[in-house]
Amino acid sequence: MSLEKVIFGFFVLLAATLNFGFFIGDISNAALHNEYELFAAVVVNLIATVLKFGDRTQIGAVHLATSLVADLQLIAATLTWVYATQISSSGMTPEATASVVSLSGGALLANLVSVALLVIETTTFHRR
Amino acid sequence: MKPAMRRPLPRGRFHRQTAIAHPAEGSPTVFLVMRRMRAPLIVLILIFAISVFGLTLIPGQDADGNPVRMGFFDAFYFMSYTATTIGYGEIPHPFTGAQRLWVTATIYLTVIGWAYAIGSLLATLRDRAFREALALRRFTATIRRMREPFLLVVGYGQTGQLLGHALDTLGRRLVVVDRTPEHIDTLDIDPYYADIPGLVADARNPHTLGVAGLEHPACEGVVALTDNDEVNLVVAMTVALVRPGLPVIARTVSPAIEHRMRAFGSPTVVNPFDRYGDHLRLALHKPSAYLLTSWLIRGEGAEMPELGRPPASGRWVVCGFGRFGHKLTEDLRADGLEVTVIDPRADPVPGVTVIKADASEPAVLAEAGLAGAAGFVAGTDNDATNLSLVAAARTANPALFIGARQNRPANAPLFAAMEIDWLLVPSEMAAREIYARLSTPMLWRFLQEMPELGDEWAADTLERMRAYCGAHLGALWKLTLSAGETPGLRPWLRPGVVLGDLLRSPRDREQRLDAVPLMLMRDGVTVLGPADDTRLEEDDQLLIVGRPYARRSLVDTVTNRVVAEYVLSGREVPAGWVWQRVTGKIPTAAERSESPVRSSDDP
Repeated sequence: MSLEKVIFGFFVLLAATLNFGFFIGDISNAALHNEYELFAAVVVNLIATVLKFGDRTQIGAVHLATSLVADLQLIAATLTWVYATQISSSGMTPEATASVVSLSGGALLANLVSVALLVIETTTFHRR
Repeated sequence: MKPAMRRPLPRGRFHRQTAIAHPAEGSPTVFLVMRRMRAPLIVLILIFAISVFGLTLIPGQDADGNPVRMGFFDAFYFMSYTATTIGYGEIPHPFTGAQRLWVTATIYLTVIGWAYAIGSLLATLRDRAFREALALRRFTATIRRMREPFLLVVGYGQTGQLLGHALDTLGRRLVVVDRTPEHIDTLDIDPYYADIPGLVADARNPHTLGVAGLEHPACEGVVALTDNDEVNLVVAMTVALVRPGLPVIARTVSPAIEHRMRAFGSPTVVNPFDRYGDHLRLALHKPSAYLLTSWLIRGEGAEMPELGRPPASGRWVVCGFGRFGHKLTEDLRADGLEVTVIDPRADPVPGVTVIKADASEPAVLAEAGLAGAAGFVAGTDNDATNLSLVAAARTANPALFIGARQNRPANAPLFAAMEIDWLLVPSEMAAREIYARLSTPMLWRFLQEMPELGDEWAADTLERMRAYCGAHLGALWKLTLSAGETPGLRPWLRPGVVLGDLLRSPRDREQRLDAVPLMLMRDGVTVLGPADDTRLEEDDQLLIVGRPYARRSLVDTVTNRVVAEYVLSGREVPAGWVWQRVTGKIPTAAERSESPVRSSDDP
C-alpha cells in the first residue's frame, strides 16, 4: 500500500461523490443543491486534475482527459451560477438552477468514468 | 543484437538488420513541467479554497449593521485580487474584525503559495535535466525531419571540425555527436552554410547513435573520428551490427584496433601515422606522383604544394619511438634506409640503432651523428620538444632534410616559421584523406592506382593540369554518361562519344575546354588518364579536373541536345521545334543510331 495511491484514490473518489451529492435532487429546485457542495466539488476536482499531471502511461492520459472534462463542466456550472446570482436580474430561477445542475451532471459522468478507470487500473495491477 | 555480439562473425555474414530498441519515447517536456508542478499547484489550490471558504463562513455586516455573509463569488473575487497583491479594498461592505483577522492570515498564506509555485516553475525551467531533455527533443525532431542524405560524424575535435567545414562547403549535410560540450558549441559559433545538428552524448552507447539518426533512411555513412580508438571501434561495430553495409570510416592510430575494426564488416580505416610513412615512401620513389596526390586531396582552389624532396639515400635520425616512430622507422627500413632512433623509453629493435636517451641533451644529438645524416624527424607527441629538436638539428647540420610532427593545430604558425620540409599534422592528414574519400569516391580510387603508372606519367598529368587549370587546383567532378544524367548525349551514346569531342568548347568547338580527364571507369575497370580518342559508352564514369567554367560548359553539352549537336558534330541546329522544322535542321535523334560520330582531330 502506498500513500500516493491512497491520496490519489481518495481525491478521485471524493470528486465523484461531492459531484454526485450536488447533482442529486430535483433539478430545478435551488434549495436541494448546496452551493458549498459545488464549491467543494470544484476544488477537489482541480486537485484531482493536478494529481494526474505528468503520468506518462496511456491510462494516465485518459485519467487526465476525464478530469479536464469534469473541470470544464464544473467551472461552466459555477459560471452559470455566478451569472444567475450576480448578473441576471431574476436571480436563481428554476431554469438557472436546472442548467447549473445539469452541467454538474455532465461533470458527474466524467467523474464516474474516472472512478471506473481507477477500478480498472487497480484490478490490472493486482493481476500482475 | 545480442546473438551477434556473442561471437565475432566472419566478414560478409552480417545479413540481418538489427534495430536499436529505442528507450520509451520521451514525453513532451510540458508533461515534465506539469509533473514537477504538481505539489505547488495543489498547495495553491488548497490555499485558495481554504481562504475563500473561510471568508464565506465568517459573518460580516452591511452598512446598516445587519449581519450578512459573503457569497462565494465575492469571496473568490476578493481573494483573487488580494492574493495577487492588487488589492481593491474591502467589498461589498467594510470588513468586521473577524473578517480582517482571517484575511490577514490568508494574505500571508497566498503569498507563500505563489512564491512556492513560481519558484518551482523557474527552478524546473533552469534545471539541467530539464534543459537536456529539451535539447534532446529538439535534436530528435531535427533528425526526424531530415530529408537530404546526411553523414553521421562521431567525434568533432580537430579532425572532425576540419572535415566538417570542408564537407559543409561542398553542401553535404552532417549530424554531429561528441562527448565534449565545447566541441558541439563550435557548431553554433563557427560559420557553416547548413544548420548542423549536434548532440552531446557518449557514442559508446548505441542509443546515442540511434538518436543521432543511424537508422534514418537518409543516413549515408558514419565517420568515427574521436581521439579514443576504443570509441571509434565501438562505433564501427555498432554500425556493422545495426546497419550492415552502411559505409563506415574510422580513424585509429593503433594497428591492433584497426585489426579489430576489420573483424566487423568492412569499415574504411584511416591511420594518419601509417599514411605519413606511406607518403614519405611515395615521395622518396615517385616525387611527382606524391605531388599529384597531395595537390588533389587538398581540395578545390588549393595551390600546388611546394614539397621538399626527401633524400633517397643516407641515414635518418628519428626522435620519438612511439606508435608514430615505430611506423615511420618500419617504412624507412622497408626502403632500405638506415635509421637511428632516439627515445628515452625505446626498446631495442633488431636492425635499428637505438639510442636510449633524451634527445634534448646536446650530447645525445651529437652521439646520433647528425652531421653524417641525411634526414631528421622530430616525432614526439610534444610540440615544444619537436620544435626545439628541429632547431638543435638544424644547428648541427643545416643541410638536413627535416620532418616534424605537429600535434596541436594552434601551433601551426610556429611550425610554419620553422620551415619544416615535411610536416605531419595527424588531424589534418586524417581529415584530408577522409574528405578525398567522401567528396569524390572516384578520386580515391584514382589516387590508389595512380602511383603504379610510374612517376613520368604523374609528372605528365601534373604538367597537363597546370596547363589547363593554372596554379590553383580546379574543380574535381564526376560525370556519368547515362540517359538520366546526360540527356543531351542520348542520340550519341549508342555509337559512342569520342572523349576529345566531348571536351570541345560549346562556344567554339575548335577550342578545348580547360579540363583534364583523370580517370575513366567502365564496369568497375578503370583507365587512368584516358586519351582523347577514347570512345565513351553508356554508363561510363569520368573523373575530370578543370576550371569551374569548364564544368558548367560540359553540363551544357551533356544536357542540351542542341549544344551537344554542335559540340559533337559541328552542326548548328536551331533550338526551337518550329524553327527546326522551318529550316529543316533537325537534331540527331536517338533512332538514327547509325549516324557515325566524326572522330576528332585534336583541337
